[in-house]
Amino acid sequence: MRDRIPLLLGLVTLVLVVIAWRTGGFNLALAGLSDGVMTLLLVTPLLIAAFLIAGLVQTLVGAELVERWLGSSSGWRGILLACVGGALIPGGPYAYYPIAAALLQAGAGLGVLVAFITAKNLWTISRLPLEVALLGPNITWMRYVITLIIPPLLGFLAEALFGRYILNIRKAATQ
Amino acid sequence: MIIATVTLVVLALAMAAYAWRRHDGSLRRGIDSGWLTLKRNLALLLLAFAIVGYVDVLSPTHLIQTWIGPHSGWPGLVIADAVGMLLPGGPYVVFPLIAVLYKAGAGIGPTITLVTSWAMLALISVAFELPFMGWRFTAVRWGLGLVFPILVGAAVRVFFG
Repeated sequence: MRDRIPLLLGLVTLVLVVIAWRTGGFNLALAGLSDGVMTLLLVTPLLIAAFLIAGLVQTLVGAELVERWLGSSSGWRGILLACVGGALIPGGPYAYYPIAAALLQAGAGLGVLVAFITAKNLWTISRLPLEVALLGPNITWMRYVITLIIPPLLGFLAEALFGRYILNIRKAATQ
Repeated sequence: MIIATVTLVVLALAMAAYAWRRHDGSLRRGIDSGWLTLKRNLALLLLAFAIVGYVDVLSPTHLIQTWIGPHSGWPGLVIADAVGMLLPGGPYVVFPLIAVLYKAGAGIGPTITLVTSWAMLALISVAFELPFMGWRFTAVRWGLGLVFPILVGAAVRVFFG
């Protein structure tokens, strides 16, 4: 599966290049590429820090520690801990997925990781000022209040329904 | 972006300093391990950012605006759920887009469904998730999450509509 993902992403890129070319000719095709490169350059320092953290997590945090606090048997404590961690960690998917992957391989459970990523997606504090500024305080507080339950709930559901397949899930991430 | 970068850099430096003080080669191993992960995923990252760039310049804003009116009911919420996961890029790109839709008359339910769906289900994030977490993990997280933005929009209507 892992070998096919670059192929899949390459295909998506190619389709987008063709659409851009047909819509706006060479100029738009080039604009898309340069937009992507600019974004990449902008997040390069963040990327380097994220991969450094991911690497250090693997060497500093022992498997026993991860297993005890974030493993499949850590229950609600692990899920809530992951929710708080997810809310606090800044940066885009290129930053938190390497960290989540390091935790997955170090022994964290399925529910804990689903809770971590969902809390990052819905509770994130670093995005809050931007959301208030661009969408307004009303929409923002309604959204935070109504989605408050989702990260722990989704973590609990994932663990209850699919937690026992964690070994296969972990294996799929390295294949 | 600057705050996020500074926070992560400080966190990385603090962990590096702690690893260095252990004097057991932890720092070296940590850097090697991080570098290896980066190297293994570099091609994917480059492709993912190319996709980000193209979706950014091709955004179908007009189409989105016609689909989610103020009285769109359940279909509007379902459409908002589907559109949310297609929304391109980070909050800097997406929030202004959603704000435009809201001002143009999108209902509050579909608007919050859009934000929630983009945050939880964005396909552009899945492009990063797949290589790192594997397809099984993505299938569970994304599949279970699919219905939540619709429920959130319905809840908004019930409580605040």
